[in-house]
Amino acid sequence: MNASNSFKSSVVVALDDIQLQTALDRGTTRAVNGRISAMGETSAAPELRAQARAARLRALNQLPELLDTLERNVTANGGAVLWARTGAEANDTILQICREHGVRRVTKGKSMVTEESGLNHVLEAHDIEINESDLGEYIIQLAHEPPSHIVFPMLHKTKEATAELLHEKLGMPMTDKPEDMTRFVRGVMRRKYIEADLGISGVNFAIAETGTIITVENEGNNRLSCSTPKIHIAVMGLEKVLATWHDWTTLAQLLPRSATGQRMTVYTNLMSGPKREHEPDGPEKFYLLILDNGRSDMLAGEFAESLACIRCGACLNVCPVYQNIGGHAYGWVYPGPIGSIVSPLLQGIQKAPSLPYASSLCGACQAACPVDIAIPDMLLKLRRDLVKVHDPASASLPWRIGMRAWRIGMRSPLLYRIGGKLAAVGTRLLARNGKITRLPGILGGWTKSRDFPAFPAESFRERLAQKKKRVESQSRESE
Amino acid sequence: MTAARTEILSKLRRALAAGTPFPQAETVDTSRPVVPINPDENLLARFCSEVERVRGIIHLADSTDAALAALRSVLHSNDVTRTMCWDAPHLPFDGVTNLLATQGIEIIAGTNEVVETAQAGITGCDWAIAATGTLVLSSGPGRSRMASLLPPIHVALMRSSQLIPRLEDWVASRYADRLQQIRTSSNITFITGSSRTSDIEMQPVFGVHGPLQIHIVILKDV
Ligand code: SF4
Repeated sequence: MNASNSFKSSVVVALDDIQLQTALDRGTTRAVNGRISAMGETSAAPELRAQARAARLRALNQLPELLDTLERNVTANGGAVLWARTGAEANDTILQICREHGVRRVTKGKSMVTEESGLNHVLEAHDIEINESDLGEYIIQLAHEPPSHIVFPMLHKTKEATAELLHEKLGMPMTDKPEDMTRFVRGVMRRKYIEADLGISGVNFAIAETGTIITVENEGNNRLSCSTPKIHIAVMGLEKVLATWHDWTTLAQLLPRSATGQRMTVYTNLMSGPKREHEPDGPEKFYLLILDNGRSDMLAGEFAESLACIRCGACLNVCPVYQNIGGHAYGWVYPGPIGSIVSPLLQGIQKAPSLPYASSLCGACQAACPVDIAIPDMLLKLRRDLVKVHDPASASLPWRIGMRAWRIGMRSPLLYRIGGKLAAVGTRLLARNGKITRLPGILGGWTKSRDFPAFPAESFRERLAQKKKRVESQSRESE
Repeated sequence: MTAARTEILSKLRRALAAGTPFPQAETVDTSRPVVPINPDENLLARFCSEVERVRGIIHLADSTDAALAALRSVLHSNDVTRTMCWDAPHLPFDGVTNLLATQGIEIIAGTNEVVETAQAGITGCDWAIAATGTLVLSSGPGRSRMASLLPPIHVALMRSSQLIPRLEDWVASRYADRLQQIRTSSNITFITGSSRTSDIEMQPVFGVHGPLQIHIVILKDV
């Protein structure tokens, strides 16, 4: 099955999955409302967004210098900076640190880049126990499922399914209360924090001028992962850097509001190197691993702006496509509108050729985006690129004939009008309740994944002509 | 490793060789986020209402004695006998260590296995942010970062004079001092309420991996 068919079939499965539809419906509605009320409370939201966007874009303007400064300052704080060109290189580097220090057990805070690199599998293959520590990540790790949302990883799961899973795998007494499930997992995870030799975390922002990494979270799992083990490795995509603390205070207002509808998350954690000599606790070793994995290529082209993304997930929550198919159908780590851009760019466009089309281009994503990324615009550009890499000679004969006919028809007003009339008659013959669910012959490809609306009896031109007549006769009367 | 570094940085430099990709961003002032605040607002009242919104429990005290009494009642009502506790010089008022000693409450420190048995963590804080109900805690000698994290109950002690209006005031006023502090402490944590999750169907549940309860004892000194 090729990549584009696999997307379509995942969509069909997702749309029929009642449990998924329930979970999506409950989850995205809450998330959207939360963001709207949190943003609405700052009457200056447009200005704030402009500032946030500027802070991110300015960082991209000077990315190599900032990374250099970041490295210098992390080192001055007593930490070490490591670089990885690819996900595999990042995994190797982490594995090597594990070997060096005899690491057997790892706890991990939420990190999308290590999803990119598939770190968990690699460590497990080397007999290193790795536990996701975020509640949602832990639950889907138990279920052997990938995350379906960048902020709410188990958005696809109902509480009923969660209870069943915890009951089956860990013997939790059955319950339908999220409180009870949460308390149960807290108990299970405690031992894991205490015994872990290594904590791995993601990075929400890295501040170059002091060599500090920042993580935001609500549960405390990430703080624990960065505090109880003797070693802490923070893994960041190279675009996460900010120049100054001023820039951070701007973004700090927007990330939680956009992601979860909070003004501040419960914990915002600033970490500058390992524990200092007389500090009572904290990791003795601190590594910052900076990962490229396709990002430097993105900086060069017209998609550079997508590197400004702060992974808040707002564009997923508002997207009518995401709301209906959920995250897994997108097939890779980053779902939703921003995923439809970065997945093809980071993996190669051949691997995800359907994603740029998984959008109605309604613009809800850009309107919700705290850094105003021109997502619909970039999706169009990706479609253009896809058409370019698609050798026209390889298209099927009916397709080529069809496109040729289309071109001729669209250039001639007469043919256009005749075509429109024929289509109006034809489509109305096929339609039930104004919709065609199955077009005949080769046109059937269209209706495989969507309905086709019947043409109205009266065309726009005809209505316009009628209206003109009416207006003219009215104005004559009033004279 | 150095090969990776060199290659990544030179790729980035090459990508930017054609010029600044986003020149329009250079002119926007980001030194202070435009989040309006009511300048006449009473900081203490705002702080307390924000903390309560996120399930924190406030104890207001007019005197040191009253503050100590509040601390004692939190510990007693939860049957606390073992605590993690910041060293006395880092707490906002005297008498805490003495109180614990006379009540027979132990202060423990050491390995994860040991401190895991603490039933409460007692800390001070650097600042408290009124607009969001947030505590700012920096790590340092005598200031355990785990004390506000590992035990099921966190009791933070503060004076009302430690209140500042907003997050950006923490950064923007005395910028150089702030940078120095960030470099000196391996960890600075901003705490807003009790740990929570919305992972299961986005329904908020309080008390996840961090403390289940957070109490803030405020000694009114202004
Ligand atoms: S593109 Fe914008 S809205 Fe979407 S995750 Fe990134 S920052 Fe958030």
